[in-house]
Amino acid sequence: MRRQGTMIILVVLLVAAVLVAVGVGAVWIPPATTIRLVAWKLGMAERPHGVAPSVEIILFQLRIPRVLLATVVGSALAASGAVFQALFRNPLADPAIIGVSSGAALGAIAAMLVTGGAFAGGLVVPAVAFLGALAAGLLVYRLARVGPAVQVATLLLAGVAVAALISAVMALVLTYSGERIRSIYFWLLGGLSARGWESLAAAAPLAAVGVVAALGTAGNLNLVALGEERAAQLGLEVERFKRVALATGALLAGAAVAVAGVIGFVGLMTPHLLRLVLGADHRRLLPASVLGGALFMVLADLAARTLRAPEEIPVGAVTALLGAPFFLYLLRRQRREAGARA
Amino acid sequence: MPRWWRTAAVALALMLAATACGEAREQPLRSPPAETAFPVTLTDDEGVEVTVEAQPQRIVTFAPSHTEILFALGLGERVVGVSGPFDDFPPQASRIEPVAGAGGTEPNIEKVVALEPDLLLTAFIGGEWKDRLRELGVPVFTTLASSFEDALEDIETVGRLTGAAEEAGTVTRRMQAKVETITAQAQSAGSVTCFLELSDLFTVGPGALEFDLLQRAGCEPITADAGQPYPQWSPERLVRDDPDVFLASEYGQPVAQVADRPGIRDLRAVREGRLFLVDGDLISRPGPRLVDGIAELAEALHPDLF
Repeated sequence: MRRQGTMIILVVLLVAAVLVAVGVGAVWIPPATTIRLVAWKLGMAERPHGVAPSVEIILFQLRIPRVLLATVVGSALAASGAVFQALFRNPLADPAIIGVSSGAALGAIAAMLVTGGAFAGGLVVPAVAFLGALAAGLLVYRLARVGPAVQVATLLLAGVAVAALISAVMALVLTYSGERIRSIYFWLLGGLSARGWESLAAAAPLAAVGVVAALGTAGNLNLVALGEERAAQLGLEVERFKRVALATGALLAGAAVAVAGVIGFVGLMTPHLLRLVLGADHRRLLPASVLGGALFMVLADLAARTLRAPEEIPVGAVTALLGAPFFLYLLRRQRREAGARA
Repeated sequence: MPRWWRTAAVALALMLAATACGEAREQPLRSPPAETAFPVTLTDDEGVEVTVEAQPQRIVTFAPSHTEILFALGLGERVVGVSGPFDDFPPQASRIEPVAGAGGTEPNIEKVVALEPDLLLTAFIGGEWKDRLRELGVPVFTTLASSFEDALEDIETVGRLTGAAEEAGTVTRRMQAKVETITAQAQSAGSVTCFLELSDLFTVGPGALEFDLLQRAGCEPITADAGQPYPQWSPERLVRDDPDVFLASEYGQPVAQVADRPGIRDLRAVREGRLFLVDGDLISRPGPRLVDGIAELAEALHPDLF
């Protein structure tokens, strides 16, 4: 009952957060105006009179696509984190830590350098980011493979090493690429500033495929969580499944990184938070992570664009500032409860 | 990951630049330069007292602006080391030994020492490398300019440090006269609002050198209420304020690509063809070519006048 309730609460909170995020921004638009404009766009009302054209642009070209993109990026990062944490059976597994985000970033940078800058829309950058993420994931997987099986501990270590290697390559590429790619620095920092429908169109299809695939892995992730031997005894083709799960996590990370750069903490923290509330069943945890990641990202981006308006704050700083203390609080509370029970 | 330290370093540097300049620039400067007698002791923009014992013969610059200043003072021959590939003006500066280490944010100490300089000039903030070099007997002098006036003062300071005070006075007087002419002309044309994008909606606010230049070139930046010199600006506010002119500091992308972004493409300035790329080197290097930078800005802001 409590678990069903949690899902309903998440949906309600997400809808509320999206509405607030569409209603509030660096430029104040009265809620009545927003509602009338949206109703008009949806074909439910006449075009409202006396609304400045700039208001329409702010709402439909900047704010709404940005909020929607925040939901997509947040969902993708959180789902990716949930898959990797289950697959690697390690609470520290996160697309950023095991090298998949670095691979995606390196892929995206390569695509941007070829296509001429961080503004390039379209599917090229996300697709290459996915390939980079997948390549990094497969490299980690191959490195960790000894004989027929892959040890999870080795996998994680290999992931950390590959992440460090790719980061070093990226640092070198950026150091010696000169001024031309200055905007790539800012893109790498992560953020959703001035992203529009193009970014949404680029990320949403890949993220949607990734989310569906991730939800499909939930049952088998539960088996893997029991240990690989046990999972195999229960009839799971473990090695094949691990490849599928790895590709799924890479696809999700690639979609998010390609449009929003590297944003930390969402993928690591969201599944943890929800696991504390919902337990470890991935059939619940994955959909909850999709909702929770979207909620977290919408709120973080709202803070990033409004707290110091008209200036913007890097959204990665917001995710860490909001996320870390809350996470530590939940962690301590859980430990204390566990201690009291024992 | 480079992103953390780089951005953090830049942000910190910009913050420090703002405060350092705010404190250090009280006294007026246009006093006639006295003939320099060495040793010269001056306090730099980080509050460090620097003594130059004799007229420097071997100078390392760690900032393209200082390279340009020394060449303008007729001391190009004495520059034995520069920061790196960005020291591209005047063209013969490209042939001077680069001293930057990997990453470009600080010099390679060994290279600097091997050049046996008797003065190092920089516009970079902070860094342990300065203390290290001072311990090794190389005077390190830092200038941080946040306005055109600051830049003129820095040129005169470099003149005093290098025994070229008279030449520096000539250079700065000429610069000041030209800029005063441009400003007077621009002001007669009436006010224009503008937005200067450095990259990804990062812009300039009060306390940034470029902000001062925009005002001198006859424009009211819409970012006047910024709380820091180099903020990232809200695209919503940019669309609402809809500046008359959109200036993008050149960063290797064609106009079409700069223009074709959400919100930006709907700006009046962009639709009506008043998006201009400006040469970032001319407006961000506090050196003798600032005059050309201001002229370029004025031309973009008031095309019918210049």
